[in-house]
Amino acid sequence: MRFDHPPLEILVVDHDLTTLEMVQIRLDVAGYRPIAARSGRAALELLATCRPAALILERRLPGMCGLELLRTLAASPDWRAPVLLVGRKLAEEDVRSGMQLGVRDCLAKPFSGAAVLERLNRLLTRSTPAFAAARPAVYINT
Amino acid sequence: MTAPMTSRTLAPSMTTTLEVLAAEIELAGARCILLDRIIGEAMGRLPNEERDRLVPSLHTVDLLVQHLTNLAAFARSLSLATPDDVTAPVEAALSEITLGALVERMAQGMGRDGSPTAGADVEDAGDLDLF
Repeated sequence: MRFDHPPLEILVVDHDLTTLEMVQIRLDVAGYRPIAARSGRAALELLATCRPAALILERRLPGMCGLELLRTLAASPDWRAPVLLVGRKLAEEDVRSGMQLGVRDCLAKPFSGAAVLERLNRLLTRSTPAFAAARPAVYINT
Repeated sequence: MTAPMTSRTLAPSMTTTLEVLAAEIELAGARCILLDRIIGEAMGRLPNEERDRLVPSLHTVDLLVQHLTNLAAFARSLSLATPDDVTAPVEAALSEITLGALVERMAQGMGRDGSPTAGADVEDAGDLDLF
């Protein structure tokens, strides 16, 4: 699935190399500009210089976990990007806490590339007026 | 003699094993999607007759993408249907894999601690380990 929109930067934070590369490729082919980080600290360093349109975040990360990263980001007045929380067996409590910190949707692992793209497109349509306006009524299969 | 990566024998659950397998097949599918795009771009620069000659090959790549995404879906679905208490004897099966980065990623996904994959670059994935 490919939407005709300007290339939006999407930050993907996941320690798992397989998922990270798969999501990066799918985002790239769909016309996004993926930025990858393998830890919360690495994500924070990247966020010092970029403002992604959305964040795809693994709940479990080494060191600073996904929710801790979101707590740090929530403390910043500039941070408004919607978050897609991903993970294996996401606990209801994590989802509830995440919702208060910018999580707009969740996706359980293992997931397909198509599923992550569909969720991201939906999340951006709801959260980013410019994206919704740029998105055509008909999408093109690739 | 080569030192083992860990003294602990891997015995992940069948669920985890199938999840790891599904993720790797999904990645292979994503790489084929990327390949499909690259071939499509390259074909766009070819003369019409050359392009027509290569169209069946491009369809083969499309078919491969569908083949892999369907296999990934099968493995994912099977992982959801498998009881957590069933373990998988993966050591011998992992030793069949000759791609160094692939076997490290899979072993780490199946619970092997201290895998050299930690901290490795994504660009290393798929390196052929001949020895």
